[in-house]
Amino acid sequence: MAAYILRRLWQMIPTILGVVLLVFFLFKYFGGDPAEILGGLNATPEQIAAIRQQLGLDKPVWVQLGLYLQSVATFDWGKSWATNEAVSHLFSSRLPATLTVMLPILVLEVIVALPVAMWVSYRRGSLADRTLMVVTTIALSISFLVYIIVGQYVFGFQLGWFPVQGWSDSTWTNLTTYVPLPVLLAVFVALAPYTRLYRTFFLDELGQDYVRTARAKGMTEGRVMFSHVLRNAMIPILTNVGLALPGVFVGSFLIEVFFSIPGLGREILLAVNRSDYPVIQAIAVYLAALTMVINLIVDVLFKLVDPRVVLK
Amino acid sequence: MSTASHDVVAPAAAQRSDGVWLAAWRRFKADRVGLVSACVVLAFIVLVAVSALGWVAKGWQDEVGVANAPPTLLGPRPAEATGAIEVPKGPNADLSAVDPLAPRYADIDAAASKYRTTDAAKADTLPMGGDRLGRDVMSKAIKGTQISVFVGVLAAVLATLIGTVLGALGGFFGGKVGDFLEWLYNVFEAIPGILLIFAFAAVFGRGIGTVVLILGLAGWTGLYRQVRAEFMKHSGREYVRAAEAIGASSTSRMFKHILPNISHVILVRMSLLVVGFIKSEVILSYLGLGVGVEDVSWGTMLAEAQSELILGYWWQLAAATGFMAVFVTAFSLMADAVRDALDPKLRGLE
Amino acid sequence: MTSSLLQIQDLRVSFRMGKEQGVVQWAEAVRGIGFEVPENSIVALVGESGSGKSVTAMSIVNLLPDNAKRQGRILWQGRDLLGASLQELQQLRGKEIACVFQDPMSSLNPVFTIGAQLAEPLMKHMGMTKAQALQRAEALLGEVGIPEPGRRMGSYPHELSGGQQQRVMIAMALACEPKLLIADEPTTALDVTIQRQILELIGKLKATRRMSVLFISHDLGVVGEIADHVVVMRHGVIREQGRVADIFAAPKDDYTRALLACRPSLTHNPDRLMVIDDHMAGRSSRQVQHTKDPQAPVVLEVRSLAKSFFIKSGLFGKREFKAVQGVSFRLRKGHTLGVVGESGSGKTTMGLTLLRLHEPTSGEVIFEGKNLLTLSDRERQSMRRRIQIVFQNPYASLNPRFTIGQTLVEPMDIHGIGTDRADREARARALLEKVGLDASAFAKYPHEFSGGQRQRIAIARCLTLNPEVLVLDEAVSALDVSVQAQVLNLLRDLQDEFGLSYVFISHDLAVVRFISDEVLVMKDGVVVEQNSAEQILASPREDYTRRLLAAIPRGYQA
Repeated sequence: MAAYILRRLWQMIPTILGVVLLVFFLFKYFGGDPAEILGGLNATPEQIAAIRQQLGLDKPVWVQLGLYLQSVATFDWGKSWATNEAVSHLFSSRLPATLTVMLPILVLEVIVALPVAMWVSYRRGSLADRTLMVVTTIALSISFLVYIIVGQYVFGFQLGWFPVQGWSDSTWTNLTTYVPLPVLLAVFVALAPYTRLYRTFFLDELGQDYVRTARAKGMTEGRVMFSHVLRNAMIPILTNVGLALPGVFVGSFLIEVFFSIPGLGREILLAVNRSDYPVIQAIAVYLAALTMVINLIVDVLFKLVDPRVVLK
Repeated sequence: MSTASHDVVAPAAAQRSDGVWLAAWRRFKADRVGLVSACVVLAFIVLVAVSALGWVAKGWQDEVGVANAPPTLLGPRPAEATGAIEVPKGPNADLSAVDPLAPRYADIDAAASKYRTTDAAKADTLPMGGDRLGRDVMSKAIKGTQISVFVGVLAAVLATLIGTVLGALGGFFGGKVGDFLEWLYNVFEAIPGILLIFAFAAVFGRGIGTVVLILGLAGWTGLYRQVRAEFMKHSGREYVRAAEAIGASSTSRMFKHILPNISHVILVRMSLLVVGFIKSEVILSYLGLGVGVEDVSWGTMLAEAQSELILGYWWQLAAATGFMAVFVTAFSLMADAVRDALDPKLRGLE
Repeated sequence: MTSSLLQIQDLRVSFRMGKEQGVVQWAEAVRGIGFEVPENSIVALVGESGSGKSVTAMSIVNLLPDNAKRQGRILWQGRDLLGASLQELQQLRGKEIACVFQDPMSSLNPVFTIGAQLAEPLMKHMGMTKAQALQRAEALLGEVGIPEPGRRMGSYPHELSGGQQQRVMIAMALACEPKLLIADEPTTALDVTIQRQILELIGKLKATRRMSVLFISHDLGVVGEIADHVVVMRHGVIREQGRVADIFAAPKDDYTRALLACRPSLTHNPDRLMVIDDHMAGRSSRQVQHTKDPQAPVVLEVRSLAKSFFIKSGLFGKREFKAVQGVSFRLRKGHTLGVVGESGSGKTTMGLTLLRLHEPTSGEVIFEGKNLLTLSDRERQSMRRRIQIVFQNPYASLNPRFTIGQTLVEPMDIHGIGTDRADREARARALLEKVGLDASAFAKYPHEFSGGQRQRIAIARCLTLNPEVLVLDEAVSALDVSVQAQVLNLLRDLQDEFGLSYVFISHDLAVVRFISDEVLVMKDGVVVEQNSAEQILASPREDYTRRLLAAIPRGYQA
């Protein structure tokens, strides 16, 4: 096991290096000139040259790359060009908000979609099943934007059940006041794709030979479904959750933008609009590393879920 | 259950010498839902082509209606009260005694009539309503369809090309080539998808071509994974080994032998990509990171719709949502039917 | 007179295959059959694929898929099961009627321990508590011959070998002391030595528990050894049924006779095998004897061929898995070398390495004076023409997207055989006829042909290059007995006509005996014994060879 973890960590290094290279060269060769961006529209050529020298942009490419790698290795992410806030601080202050919204969404998505999918696959081919498929197909064709716009309008604006936007400093207030509407909308939207996906998993399991064996032993359909099939279907379901986990950190930026939640997703969007390169670069590298670590943890924990897994 | 069906002698469906595509077409024709959806999609494609040629919706930017003109069905908006000032009723008072311009009105009118004004009267209602600037929502919706569908399809084709070629090379050859491609894949996968799109958007800017490029470059990984898995699976299959045994070259084995056998998988995956990319483009355009200011897409329409909704003007939202919902639903249903027709065993892939 | 446990009367089973032009299409699998299973006896249902034997067995407790329709009467101790409700069937399943299936790996639930799966029916049907059930489960494991049952209780199915998994399935079926055990091809997926053990186990259990067994199989040899009564099915109807002695010694039905006759036997060596259709039409086999020239020139010589696979292990290291170690032999022109072994013996790997479809680790393969393993790429291409291979799985060895014509013309295109397109097509058509197919097959697709026909097409593909050596990797193993006979006869004929030399790889000693002149026995990558075919069978020297011979089901011995 230790050998496996070490090997995985070792293998992460070239990937992180690749991400750093990608981010560095992408912004270097395709992005605008940072000196001009920082200088603003009214800067004189001398000012721009001065900024360029300050940023070290007049040095050769490989020196700049070396400096960048050094900053990555020492976790010195630099400062935002727009607000001059240290990026690491930015990251740590925005993350809680994102997690407060995203984690409940992730948990609720699974909890709600699972029984629906199970029930529908149990009654496969019935009217309920076919209706669900049609409804989900239509539901999936409507953009997430529409759901939020309409949802915000109806529930926040018209009915006044929830505040339209807002955030506070207390986690509890957030959870009870500001989080419910976005979470509700997000879970509602996620229902369609997740139910379809889980339904596929359940149907796949129902077609396996061990189901026939269970029936041959005289087990009731209920036991077959809830004990045999569910336990096996949890494997692809949890795999799916594991894959979705890294996405939690970027957050649904749309939700954060619509509901003015000061999370990481909204921060990235702001950075893009302001051409705030250090922020985007740093977050890209941060999250890539985080993704790989999470994947490793999920892979290791997977042995608990699927006894066939062999960690080599 | 699986053993039992082996015993069954299938009815003589294999009497005709059909290739895969012909047999699939026959199955597809029998699926009513699929046929209807295909017709709808075809209608949309015709619409896109006609719009691209400029035969309809060319003047979508013209402000032909009053601001926020309601749809024709609802009738024109009642004249609003213009404030506290009450407009007195009755004919205008005669001021010609004190009006200094009074004697010149006849000349002014005569001179004015020589100039032709193109000040067309602004319509009170438009077929699907008007937006904030009085532009025809229906024209915008049609143009938006053209742009959004075009971007979605083109981006899907790009992502499919990249993913297929890389997947084929990685899956077939393995070894150092496979390792390098795996590294590339890992690098792209490690960065969360939306973040990658944003990073590309930050550097490449806005515009239709840019969006296609961004979505294509960010979205090839799923297809790569699948094509690679399929190539790896088929490389070990006996018909490929047999091809190697008779002396077929690597390129021949990859593209003449294996590729036709998985083209249906690629097609199904590509149709999923089309839907995904259309939705991504809508979101990007909504955020102002997608198509340029001079273009309209369903996303830009939704961006405007948000502020309109609060004022009670819902028609732009309805038009954009409606067009998008109909097209995407029809496309999804058609893609499902195509997948079922190609290989009933693929049903699990949805 | 033993009373009847199970009585099947006029059973019909059809499957709903969807609608064509508004009319529902049904496929009939079983067309009105009737037989009995008495108490304390083994009844065997025998037939080839498509005969309806599995469907019959599964319809007893309705384990068929949803689109199946059953008609007729299935009387279990006097009660008609066809009309029984789902609850009533669930009471019966596992308790009075239990099942064992063909593929134990997929039939066991991969995420539950063996102990949990064994305890499940005990708790449901016998009302035991969990502790009692686990205790009983352990005892059952011991009864079916699983070593260290206590430790195995906590294992998962994938940690057991195929034979052990099947024993677990049997234990699970026996848990609630059923009166009838339905065994659907329980040994087909197992190696021949393991098969022997499982058959002995079933026989022993039947005796100690006084239970009846409905044994489904395609293998008459197995059936002859184990059954008391035999029911022969073909195309959904019963051709003959009766006591095993009667069926084997004096079969009345043509099909039964043909089935018995066209098995390659270990005892005598005909020149050609009987084919069912020939037999039923009354044609007798041509017995043209000719002997092979023992001094024919050596066409292929293999010296110390070895192939290892490297698997990653530890942090950076690699582990070597020796699939083939030091195989040497000489193949003479016009002769056949049989290579026998069970799964994991390395025989297939060796065959693939001869053609350099696997790159060998060491050794030499001398063909026409040149070492094949050190050829340049261009020379290798011309070598490809001379040594060809036919694979095991007829459903996977032809490209589903190519027409037969394309498949046959492609090798000629690559090697420049024939003058132009028309010439090549003509050759292809001629070859199709040579292997016994109609020339119209040229424009058809593989899915329109049966397994046996596809193997012939594969053979024709090899012949387009005029090879000298043909490697046949389990080429007839996936075929029904009668079809197998046809293909083997074809191979014999082609060898006589073209002077081909064969390397015939198989796990079936009887088939190898029929077609080979010399035999190589392999185990775990090494050659255990090497001799002429008669010598191997008459006086095997090695222990393993003897065990292999002993494990082969002999059929009914009076």
